[in-house]
Amino acid sequence: MRVQLVTMPWHPIDLPSLQVGLLHQLLRQVRPDDEVREFHGSLRWAEFLLERSGGRLRPGDYEAIGSDSIFDGLGDWVFSGALYQDENWGVARLTDYATRRGLDIGTASAMRPHATEFIAECATEVLAQDPDIVGFTSTFMQNVPSLALAAELKRRRPGLTVVFGGSNCDGPMGHALHRNHPFVDHVVRGEGEYAFPALLRHLDAGTPPADVPGLCWWDDGVSRANTESRRTVAPTDIPAPDYDQWRTALDASPVLEYVYPKLVVEGARGCWWGEKHHCTFCGLNGSSMAFRAKTGAQLWSEIDHLVRRHQILDIVTVDNIIDMAYFKDFLPLAEESGWDLRMHYEVKSNLNRDQIAQLGRAGAVLIQPGIESLSNRVLDLMDKGVSGARNVRTLREFENHSLTCTWNYLYGFPGELAEDYAPVVDQLPALVHLQPPGGAHRIQLERFSPNFTDPGFGFGKRRPAEMYQHVYELPEAELSDLVYLFDTEDAGIGGEVESQLKRAVAVWRAGHGGSTLVMEEAGQQEGVDVLLVHDRRQGWPLRTHRMTGWQAVALRLLEDGRTEPALHRKLTGDGLEVSAGEVGEWLQDALAAGLLFRDGRTYVSLPTREVPVRLDRDLAADDAADLQAVAG
Amino acid sequence: MTALPTTVAHRVSGRQVQVDEPLCLDGAGRETAVAVQFLRECQSHGLRTHWEMACERTQGGDAYASRMLHHLPPPAEQSGEPGELGAWRTSYAAYPAGMLYHRRGPDFITVMDRRERPSSARFTLDHPDLLAAFATVQEATPLSGLSAVQREAVGLLAAERLALVADGWAVALPPRLRRWPVPCTAI
Repeated sequence: MRVQLVTMPWHPIDLPSLQVGLLHQLLRQVRPDDEVREFHGSLRWAEFLLERSGGRLRPGDYEAIGSDSIFDGLGDWVFSGALYQDENWGVARLTDYATRRGLDIGTASAMRPHATEFIAECATEVLAQDPDIVGFTSTFMQNVPSLALAAELKRRRPGLTVVFGGSNCDGPMGHALHRNHPFVDHVVRGEGEYAFPALLRHLDAGTPPADVPGLCWWDDGVSRANTESRRTVAPTDIPAPDYDQWRTALDASPVLEYVYPKLVVEGARGCWWGEKHHCTFCGLNGSSMAFRAKTGAQLWSEIDHLVRRHQILDIVTVDNIIDMAYFKDFLPLAEESGWDLRMHYEVKSNLNRDQIAQLGRAGAVLIQPGIESLSNRVLDLMDKGVSGARNVRTLREFENHSLTCTWNYLYGFPGELAEDYAPVVDQLPALVHLQPPGGAHRIQLERFSPNFTDPGFGFGKRRPAEMYQHVYELPEAELSDLVYLFDTEDAGIGGEVESQLKRAVAVWRAGHGGSTLVMEEAGQQEGVDVLLVHDRRQGWPLRTHRMTGWQAVALRLLEDGRTEPALHRKLTGDGLEVSAGEVGEWLQDALAAGLLFRDGRTYVSLPTREVPVRLDRDLAADDAADLQAVAG
Repeated sequence: MTALPTTVAHRVSGRQVQVDEPLCLDGAGRETAVAVQFLRECQSHGLRTHWEMACERTQGGDAYASRMLHHLPPPAEQSGEPGELGAWRTSYAAYPAGMLYHRRGPDFITVMDRRERPSSARFTLDHPDLLAAFATVQEATPLSGLSAVQREAVGLLAAERLALVADGWAVALPPRLRRWPVPCTAI
C-alpha cells in the first residue's frame, strides 16, 4: 500500500510535523511493506508565495498569518475560496469583520489569490506519487487548506482514500468534519497510533472499519462515528519521529535561508495537574487528559538520535506539562551531554529554585510556565494550583538563571472582582525588572475546557466564534460541533479595571528593557553583614538600599516568600532580636520601596541576584528581514 | 565560578570583569591572540568587561577596524582613540550578544556569524580536522606548533573569519554560548 502523509499550511515552517514523523515511523514498524511518502505542503506554500509574489510574500509573512491570526481565522480564510471553488467566497464577510475590529487583512488578502493554483499544484504533486491513501494531519488553521486539497484530490481521483486526523478531529469536531465533507473518507478521532494501522488493515481487507474505536467512516452514504476508546496509547507504543523526508525537503528549499530549523519531540501526553484539577479555561488536552510519559532515558535517546542525525541543537517539546520525573531521569542526561541545547518546555510554575536552575543547566532555556495571573484569588478561581507570590518568585528565579519566560496575563474569569486586580495592578510597576507578559488577554471559551463543558461555570450562552463565519459555509448547528473556539458573554472584570490592567502591562513591557533591581552580598563591613540592593528600575528613584542585621536576613528569607508572622517567627527563631511591630513596619517600608510583592498575606522579595544579558532587538528576526532585503 | 584565562591579569566581581592591564589588539601575534582569547571567554560567560586599549593602530587592515572583533566587549573610551573604536562600542551596545557565537553538539559545532550585518552566515563544522583545529585554537596558538593538516584547517577557519591569524599566532573568534541572552529566541 502506498501511503502519503500530508501536513498543510499553517504548520510552522521551522518545525517538522511531529504527527507526520511519528506516523511515518510507526508505519515503518508495523507495516514494513507499505511505501510511505510525506508531503510538506506547509513548506511548499511558503516557497510558492515567495516565488509567485516575486519575493514580496516572505516566510515572515507566512509565520505572521500562521501564528498571529488563529483567533481571527485568517489562515483558514486564505484557503476558503479554494475549498468552496469561489474566489469571492467569504471576502465580504471578512471585510466586514475586519472593519469592525480594526484588523489588518492586507497580507492575508495578498496571499489568497494564490491559493487555488497552489492547491492544484499540490494535487498534481501528491498524485504523482500514485498513493492509495492520503492522510492529513490537522491542527489549528490546517483544516481549510487540508480540506481544499482533499477535495481537489478526490475530484481528480475519486478512488483515492482520504483520511483526516489530528487535534482538529478530536471528539465531536471529527464527526462534524466528516459528515460535512463527503470527500473525506475517514476521520481518526483521538490518538492515531492504534487506530490508523487498524484502519489500514480494514482497507487492505476491504472490510467495514466498524470496530476501529473513534473512527468516522461512510456506510452507504451515512456518516458513522464509532464510539471513542477510553484506552490511551502507552508511551512505549509512541515511536520516535522520523524527520528524514522533512529534512530533505527543507534542505532543498529556498525557505531554509529564512528559518532556523528546530526538532520537535514528545515526552508526555496529557496533564498530570489537569487529571486532578482541570484549569477552568484550558481545552488543550482535548478529550484525553490522562497523563503518560516516556521514561527520561527513552526521551533522551530520541533526542540524542535526532540531534546527531540532523545536527540541530534547538529542541521544541510539545508536552503540555513537564513530567516531574524528568528532573531526575531526563534533565540530568541533557546536562551531562555537554551540548549547547536550546530546549522549549512547558512547566507548572511552582517549581523550586533548584529545579529552575536545573532547567537552565540542561539547556531548557525557553520556558512556558503557565503563570496566567499574579492574584491568589483569581488563580484559585481558575484552579491553577499556585499562588500569585509563587508566580512572582518564579519570574524572579527565571531572571537569576537567564531563562526566557513566555506568559500572558489572563483575565475574565467568572467570579473575579475589581478588588482582585487593584492590589496587583498597583504593584506591577515594582515588577518592571522581571520578564513581562506578552499581553493581558481576556480568556477564550475553548472546547473541552471546564468553562465549556459545564455551563455552570458562567459561560452558558455561547456560539461558535464569529470568525468561523468567514471560514466555513456551514449552519451554526454544524459549526457548534466542528469548531474549537466560542464567543460568549464576558465574565469577570471589564471597563476601567480591564483598561488599567492592560495599561499597566503595556507600561511594564515598555519599561522592562533597561530596568534592574539587583541584590549584592557586600560581605562584612566594619563587622557588619551588609546587603546592598541596587535599584535601576524605570519609574523608580535610582538608589542603592543598604541593609544590615535582621533586615538583610529578612530580605533574603523573603526570597522564598513568607507571611509576616512566619517571617517574625523565623527571625526570632534564628536568634535575632526584633519585635513583631518592627518587622511589620519594615515590611511596609520595603513594600513601598518596591522591594517586595505582596499577595494576600504573603510577601516575596523582588531583587534578583543576577541580571541576564538582555537583547532589545530580535536579531534572528532581523536576519530574515536582512536576507529579504538582500534578496529583494 | 567562572574560569577565565589567567594569561591576562584581571579581577572578577559578580558578573563584572576588570582587566588590570591595557590590552593590545594590534601588537605582536602572541599578545593579540592572548587578548582576543581572554575577551572571547568574557563574552562567552556573558560578563561585563572593562578594559583599555594599549596601543594605537599601527597597521592597516587591523582586526577591530574590519568589524572582525565587534562581537567582543569593546575597550573603554579614551581621548584620541581611532574612530572605529566608537563604532565598535555603538555596535556592541546595540547587540551585546548573538553577533558571533558557537554551540557544541555531538561531533559537530554550529556557528552563527552576524558581524557583517545585514548579511548573516551559519556554519556547521563536522569535519574531524576542522573540529580538531577549532579546539586547538581555543587557546592562543603559534602556527609553528601546528602540523600541516592543522595549519590548513586553521587557514580555512581564518578564511571564514572564524579564527584570527596574526603574526604567526592563531586564536578562535566565536565565543561558546555558555549563557543565553533573554529572550533566547532573539539570536
